[in-house]
Amino acid sequence: MASEKQLSIYEDSTAAGFSRPLLLTPSEDLKGYIAAHVGRLLLFGITCVSVLAVLFIFIFVIRESLGFLLGHGLGGFLTSTAWHPESEPGEFGAVGMITGSVYVTVCSLLVAVPIGLLAAVFLSDIAPFKVRQYVKPIIEILAAIPSVAYGFFALLVLSPLMQNELGFTTGTNILNASVILAVMALPTIISVAEDSLSAIGREIREASYGLGATRAETIIKVVIPAAHSGIIAAVILGMMRAVGETMVVWMAAGNANQIPSPWWNLSAAVRTMTATIAGDMGETVQGSMHYRALFAIGLLLLAFTFTLNMISEHLLARARRVKGGGK
Amino acid sequence: MKNMICAMLMILLAAVGSVSAQQLIIDGSTTVGPICDGFAEVFGQIYPDISITVSKTGSGNGAAALVEGRCDIAMMSRFMKSQEFRAALENDVFPVAHVVAMDGVCVILHPSNPINALTSDQIKQIYLGNITNWNQLGGADMEIVAISRDTSSGTFETFHGLIMGGDDLAGSVETVGSNPQAHARVRGTAGAIAYVGLGFLDSEVKAIAVNGVMPSRDTIASGTYPVSRPLYLFTNGYPALGSPAHAFCTFYLTEQGQDIIEDQGFVPVTDY
Amino acid sequence: MKRDVNRHISDKVFTGVSGGAIILLCCVLLLVLTPMFVRGASAVLFYGTVEFRKMQLELPIFDRGDAEEVDAEVAQALDARQEAFDILARFREGLDTSILRDQAREMNRAYGDYLRTLNLDRAEYRARRQAVRDIRDGFEAALASSDNAVADELLLGVAEQLAAVDLGGTPAEGFVGLVEEYQEIVARMDLSKREQYAAALDEVQEALRGLFGPLPGEAIPPLAMNQYGATRWSRVKSELDNLLWAEEWREVTPGEPLEKVRIARTEQFAGTELADMFGLIENNIEAMMLPRFTFYWQYFIDDSTPGHYFGGVGPEILGTFLLTLIAMAFSVPLGIISAAYLVECAGDNVVIRVIRTCINTLAGVPSIVFGLFGLAFFVLFLLPVFGLGSQKSILAGGMTLAILVLPVIIRASEEAIRSVPRSYKEASLALGAGNFRTFVTVTLPAALPGILTGIILSLSRAAGETAPILFTGAVALGPIAKSILQPTRALSYGSYDMAVGDRLSALVPHQQYGMVMTLILLVLCLNVIAIVIRSKVSKKLRGY
Repeated sequence: MASEKQLSIYEDSTAAGFSRPLLLTPSEDLKGYIAAHVGRLLLFGITCVSVLAVLFIFIFVIRESLGFLLGHGLGGFLTSTAWHPESEPGEFGAVGMITGSVYVTVCSLLVAVPIGLLAAVFLSDIAPFKVRQYVKPIIEILAAIPSVAYGFFALLVLSPLMQNELGFTTGTNILNASVILAVMALPTIISVAEDSLSAIGREIREASYGLGATRAETIIKVVIPAAHSGIIAAVILGMMRAVGETMVVWMAAGNANQIPSPWWNLSAAVRTMTATIAGDMGETVQGSMHYRALFAIGLLLLAFTFTLNMISEHLLARARRVKGGGK
Repeated sequence: MKNMICAMLMILLAAVGSVSAQQLIIDGSTTVGPICDGFAEVFGQIYPDISITVSKTGSGNGAAALVEGRCDIAMMSRFMKSQEFRAALENDVFPVAHVVAMDGVCVILHPSNPINALTSDQIKQIYLGNITNWNQLGGADMEIVAISRDTSSGTFETFHGLIMGGDDLAGSVETVGSNPQAHARVRGTAGAIAYVGLGFLDSEVKAIAVNGVMPSRDTIASGTYPVSRPLYLFTNGYPALGSPAHAFCTFYLTEQGQDIIEDQGFVPVTDY
Repeated sequence: MKRDVNRHISDKVFTGVSGGAIILLCCVLLLVLTPMFVRGASAVLFYGTVEFRKMQLELPIFDRGDAEEVDAEVAQALDARQEAFDILARFREGLDTSILRDQAREMNRAYGDYLRTLNLDRAEYRARRQAVRDIRDGFEAALASSDNAVADELLLGVAEQLAAVDLGGTPAEGFVGLVEEYQEIVARMDLSKREQYAAALDEVQEALRGLFGPLPGEAIPPLAMNQYGATRWSRVKSELDNLLWAEEWREVTPGEPLEKVRIARTEQFAGTELADMFGLIENNIEAMMLPRFTFYWQYFIDDSTPGHYFGGVGPEILGTFLLTLIAMAFSVPLGIISAAYLVECAGDNVVIRVIRTCINTLAGVPSIVFGLFGLAFFVLFLLPVFGLGSQKSILAGGMTLAILVLPVIIRASEEAIRSVPRSYKEASLALGAGNFRTFVTVTLPAALPGILTGIILSLSRAAGETAPILFTGAVALGPIAKSILQPTRALSYGSYDMAVGDRLSALVPHQQYGMVMTLILLVLCLNVIAIVIRSKVSKKLRGY
C-alpha cells in the first residue's frame, strides 16, 4: 500500500515538475513568505502558553492572597507563630510552618545529598556500562512512584514501626517525613549530578590519572570541584522537590504547628507550608480571610521555589559554559 | 469490562452536562457526611432515579454552597453563623435547620492509660500545654501527646467552643485531618489524648468521663454529657413536600434512617 | 610505600561506599514496594468465604455468581452454624429476659382484647382481667430477680395462680409454658451473674455478627457492610480471635500504664451452656465459612460500597483515566508544538530565553500551588466565564494536570527532536521539501518514539499526582461521573483518603493497600513501557 502511494506521489510530482517553471512567481513567493511567517507566529503563540501559564499562576495566586496581604500585612504573617484562623479575629502567623518546611527540607537534604552524590559518582565514573543500564531504570522507578504512595508508606508502615519498635513518642515526625522526602529527592539529585559529572571531559580525568592519582582522589579533588556548579544545582533542584512536596509531609510530619525544642529534637512533629494548604483548604470557606491566608502561603512557596529555580538555572548555565570553554 | 468502556464513552459523549434524572447535591460537614452517605445508599434503592452527590468539604463550605445555590442541602455540624445567615438572606436564601442527630465529642486515651476521668478544665490545661505529663494528673509517668483536629473541622469548633472556651491551642498540639486519623494516632500511641465523634469509639481506644459523665447514647441525647452537639441539615426554606429533598431531610425520622444514624455512630433524635 | 597502601585502601573504600549508595537505593525501592504489593495483592488474591460469594451475588452493584450454587452453599453453611445459634439462643433467653417479658406482655394484652369480645359483666371482667395481670406481674418480678431462690419462689407462686384460674382456650394459656420455660432456666443458671454475662455476651454477639452476619431473628441492617459476615478468611481469623478471647486492660503495678490481659471466653462463661459454643465454632469454622481460594480480578472494575468496605476500585481507575486523558488532550499538542518551535524555529535570543526560563519555572512550581491555581483560575474564574458551574470537575482537574505536565512533555519532545540526526533533515531539505514538510514527514516520525516516551512518563506523573486535584477535581466518595463537569474519584486521592480519612477503610486494610497497589502498578507499567521504548530507540539510534 505505502509503496504504491509513494509511487503515485512520485509520478505526480515528476509530471508537475515538467509542466511548471522552476522559478516561483512573485505572488507565490509572497504567499510562501507570508505563510512561513504567519505559521512561525502561530507556533510562537502556542509556545508562549507556558509563559502565560507561569504568568497566570503568579497573577491568580497573588490576586487571591492580595486581600490578606493588604488586610493583615506581612508583619504578623512573617513574625508570629500563632496560626489560629478560627479565632475572631483570626491570627495568621506562618513562622511555625516556615520553620517546619525548613526542618524537613534540610534534614532530607542531609540524608539525600551524600547518598545522591555517591550514587552519581558511582554511575558516572565507577559503574561499568551494563550496571548503569540496570541501575538507571531503578532510579527512574524510584522517581515515578507517586508521592501519595510514599505518604501511604510513611503513615501506615514506617510510622508504626518507629513508634512500636524504635520507641518514638510519635511516629509521624520530622525524621519520618525527612527520610521519605530524601528518597523522593534522590532521583533528582542523582540524575542532575550525574549529568554534570559526566559532562566533565575525559581529558581532565586522564590528566589526573596521568599524575598518578587514584580514582578516589581524581573524583574528589578534580572531577567534583570541576562539576561543582552542576552539583549545587542538583542539590537545589532536590531541595525544590522537598520543599514543594505535599502529600508526604501532610501524612507523615505530624502537623503540629510548633518549632521543635530543643532545636535538634527531630522526633517532634512539625507542620509545613504545603501541608497547611492541603489540610486547611478543603474545609475553608472560599473567599474568607483564612482562604486568602492559605493563598498567601502558596505565594510564599511560589516565590521561594522561583528564586531557587533562578539560582539553579544560573548555575546550570555556568556549568554548560565551563564545559563549552573546556573544549 | 464492557460496562466500563460503555461508561467511559457515555461520559465522554455527555461532555456538557445534560442530566435528566433528578439531582440532589449535598455538601458540607465531614462529620455529618457519613450519615448522608448512609442515607444516600439506602435512598438509591428506594428512589433509583434520583442521583445523589455527597461532597464533604466542611461546614463552612456547606453553608457557603447553600447560600450560593451550589447545593440543595448543606450538612453542618454547627449552627449557621450570623454573617452566614445575613449573606443567605441577601441572596434570597432562607436557611431552615433540620436536626438529624446528636453527636458527642468524646475524649479518648490509649487503653493502657490508667486515667478514667478528667474534668473539662484538666483537658483544657492539657491542650493549652500547661500539663505535659500524665503523672501531673495522677497517671503514669508518660509524656502527653495531645492531638487535635484541623481548625476548620466542625469537631474542632465544638471542642474549641465547649472545652477550650475559645482559647487558642498550644503549638505543640498535633493536628490530624480526620476522625479516623485521630483514632489511629491514639490507638498506636500510649501517651496520646484526642477527641473524636461518638461513632469512633471502640475497644481499641478508651473514652473517658468528662466532668464525671461518660459519653453514651443516653447522656448525649439528654445533653448531660458536656461536649455534645446537634447535627444539622440546612435547606433553602422548608423543602417542597414530596420533593426528593423533603424525603431526604425527613429520612432521619424513619426507622431505617434511625438505624443508619446509629450504625454510623451517632445518636438519633427519635426513638422507636 | 605505606602512604600508597593507605591511598589504595581509601580508593577501594570510596568505590565500596559509592556502590553501597546504589545498593541502598535498591533496598529502599524494595522496602517501599514490598509491603504495598504483598498486602495489596490480598485485595485480589485471598480465601473468600461463603459470605463473600453471597455478597457478590446479592449486592446489586456486583450481581455476580451462580444463584443456585451460592444458595446451596449458604444453606450448607447455615446448617453447620445452626447448632451454635441454638446454644446462643437458649443462653440468651435466660440472660436477656426481655424476650420472655415481651411475650408475657403480649399475651396479657391479647387476653384483654379477648375478654372484651366476650361481653362479660363489669365485675367478672375486672376479676378475670386482674387475675391475669397479677400473673404477668408475678412473672415479670421473677424475671427481674437476680436471686435464684427468690425467682424460684415467685415462679411457684405464679404457677399456683395459674392453676387457680382456668385459662385453657384463651390467648393467655401460653403462660403455663412460659413459666415452665423460665423455671428450667432458673434451675440451670446462676442469676446473680446475669449482669456480668450480659456485657460479655454483647461482645460475643458482636463477634458472631462479624463472623456470620446478622444473627437469626435479627432484622437485616440497612447498610451493606453490616449485612454480611466475614468475607475473607483473614478476617474470619481475627473475628474468631475476638470471639474466643476477651481483652481487658488491668493495672499490674500502680502508677504504670495498664497491661493487656487476654481471657478465654470459655473461662468467662465457665459453667454455662454457652461455654460449649466456643469450642464448637472453633472446630467447625471451616464448615461454617466454606473458605475457597478466590481470584477477585473484578477488583479492578468493580464499584465499591461507601468507605470501600466491599468492592473494588473501578470508578477510581476510570476517574484517573479520564483526568489524565483530558490532561493529555491539552498538554500533548501544546507540548509538541512548543518543542518543535523551540528546536526548529527559535534561535537564541532574549525572548526564547525567557520562554525557557518560564518552562523551567513551571517545572519547579510545587504541586500544591498548581492545586491552588487550578482552584482560583479554572474552578472559580474560567468555568463561570463559560457559564458552567463553579465546582470541582474532571475538566478543571484535567486542565490543572495539563499545566503540570506541560514542561515535562516540552522537555522530552525537545530532547527527542534534537536527537534526530541532522543528516535526515538535510537529506529531506536537499530533496526540495520545505521546512514544514521536512518537520512533519521526516523529523517528527523519527522523533516520535522519544516523544511517546515523554508522553507516557508524563501520563504516569499525572496519574500519580494528588495535590493538584485535591481542590479541583477529586472527591473521595460519590457516584461515577456522568459528564466531565462533575468531580470524580481518583486512585491517587482515593489512596490518600483511605489512608487517613475514612473510618470504614481502617477496618479493611486490604482495601487500603489494594488501592495504593493499583496506583503503583499503573504508574510502574507506564514507566516500564516508557523505558522499553526508549531502550529500543537508543539502540536504533546507536546501532542502526
